[in-house]
Amino acid sequence: MKKYMVIYRSVLIENLQYAANIAMGFISYFMIIFVFIHLWNYMYAAPDDLIAGYTKEQMIWYVMITEMIWFGARSSTIREQVSADIRGGNIAYLVNKPYYYPLYILAKYTGEWNIQLSMYIGLTIVIGITMVGGIPNFHWITIVAVVPCIILGMTIHAVFKLCISMLSFWIEDANPFQWLYDKLILVVGTIFPVEIFPVALQPMLKLTPIYTVCYGPAKLIVDFSVEKYLEILLAQVLYLGFGGIILFWLYGKGGQKLYVNGG
Amino acid sequence: MLTVVKNQMRVCALAVKYNIMREMLNKVTFLTNILFMIFNNATFIVQWVILLRLREDVGGYTMREVMLLWGLAASSFGLSHLLFSRVFSLPNLIISGKLDAYLVQPKNVLLSVMTSATSASAIGDFLYGVLVICIFCFSVKRLLLFLLFTVIAALIMTAFALLMGSLTFWFVRAEMFGNHMIGSAISFATYPDGIFKGIVRFLLYSVLPVGMAIYHPVHIMMVFDWRKFFAVLGYLVLLSVAAVFVFYRGLRRYSSSSLMESGRV
Repeated sequence: MKKYMVIYRSVLIENLQYAANIAMGFISYFMIIFVFIHLWNYMYAAPDDLIAGYTKEQMIWYVMITEMIWFGARSSTIREQVSADIRGGNIAYLVNKPYYYPLYILAKYTGEWNIQLSMYIGLTIVIGITMVGGIPNFHWITIVAVVPCIILGMTIHAVFKLCISMLSFWIEDANPFQWLYDKLILVVGTIFPVEIFPVALQPMLKLTPIYTVCYGPAKLIVDFSVEKYLEILLAQVLYLGFGGIILFWLYGKGGQKLYVNGG
Repeated sequence: MLTVVKNQMRVCALAVKYNIMREMLNKVTFLTNILFMIFNNATFIVQWVILLRLREDVGGYTMREVMLLWGLAASSFGLSHLLFSRVFSLPNLIISGKLDAYLVQPKNVLLSVMTSATSASAIGDFLYGVLVICIFCFSVKRLLLFLLFTVIAALIMTAFALLMGSLTFWFVRAEMFGNHMIGSAISFATYPDGIFKGIVRFLLYSVLPVGMAIYHPVHIMMVFDWRKFFAVLGYLVLLSVAAVFVFYRGLRRYSSSSLMESGRV
């Protein structure tokens, strides 16, 4: 565990040096939020309307938080680096290192998102308070409760992205699968809360990563309840366990293929 | 003069042809890229089905107009990346000094750079747009107009990317700025202009090329208007001239990194 902490710390310090580069991403984030503020302002005919049980402020905050998670979780390490390592054969060199490769990548990714997400949280609060107003019935203690949900959500996201990248052991380019996963999260997960979908679809959506990665943390921030909190936390733990098993299995199987092909 | 232009066009066409052939080397990957990009774009239909369940129209757009908007945005983006993919990674060439390979060629530098790469997934984008038009709002006149505006919008997007990319000749950080501006233009291009008001709307029709490349053509395809049509053409000419001018002004500042690499970049 100590070696992964060292990797995490070194990436964290490295990323601090590039804070200005991360801040350039604020332009895209701001533009997207700007579009959504206009969109939801249009969709809510009257300021006190409710859509799927959400007020306009709650809906816009929900989108801002899910987009914040999405932007904070963006990482070339779990997407491009793993695929490039596998396709380029660099993985043959990395498997001999004194660490377990998937955990090494996860430690690196955690160092990256810690800095990115912290910066986006600051930006989200500024944009939200200036352009939308505060979240109705919000209590600061909610933040403390939601932190574990955000950490678990970000880790689950990384595990599933890594699983897709591991497909590069079998296919040359795993990017198309990454697009589909990204779009599932982006279109279904970040733009709308689960409650907006037809009732018949909602149980199915709860079985997708959307529920644990985006919906869970955002829902708890805009509309906290202890019952929902425990439900989401349990779903995240189960999801992480399930995703972890798939990841280690894929890596193990892929490693055998690498051995057969000679790297 | 005419022969020179003809030769240059032939070289460009050959460059695009060989770029696509290179992408087709691995047929499975090539086809997967195209098909998955079509699915990828199609996921956004879910978003609009949900939004249009909440209200009859969004910004004055019903499902038909939204699909027209999405189709044009996807097809023009696809065509632009299919023919001129390198323009979108121009900052990288400038920063790493990889323009050398193009400067020594006996043909036009800018066109050689622009046509030196392609993207297989862009074919998926282009096909998606055409499919959407055929499924949701087909008429022969509209399809022909759609193809014409796809070419015009692709040229506008390429000129905008060239303008943004050329800023890297002066500022290194312009690379990220340009990428975010292009990304933002694409984000705006997939939402109806009716939801934007005032200064934002003005900016979308001037600074960002979305209004002229996407919104106006969609309006024209619904109700033809010569004034809007000439406004789009005029914008294309102005933006292209500005982009080419800025590129060549910037090129004077370019200094080689003496990078030694085999073949074309």
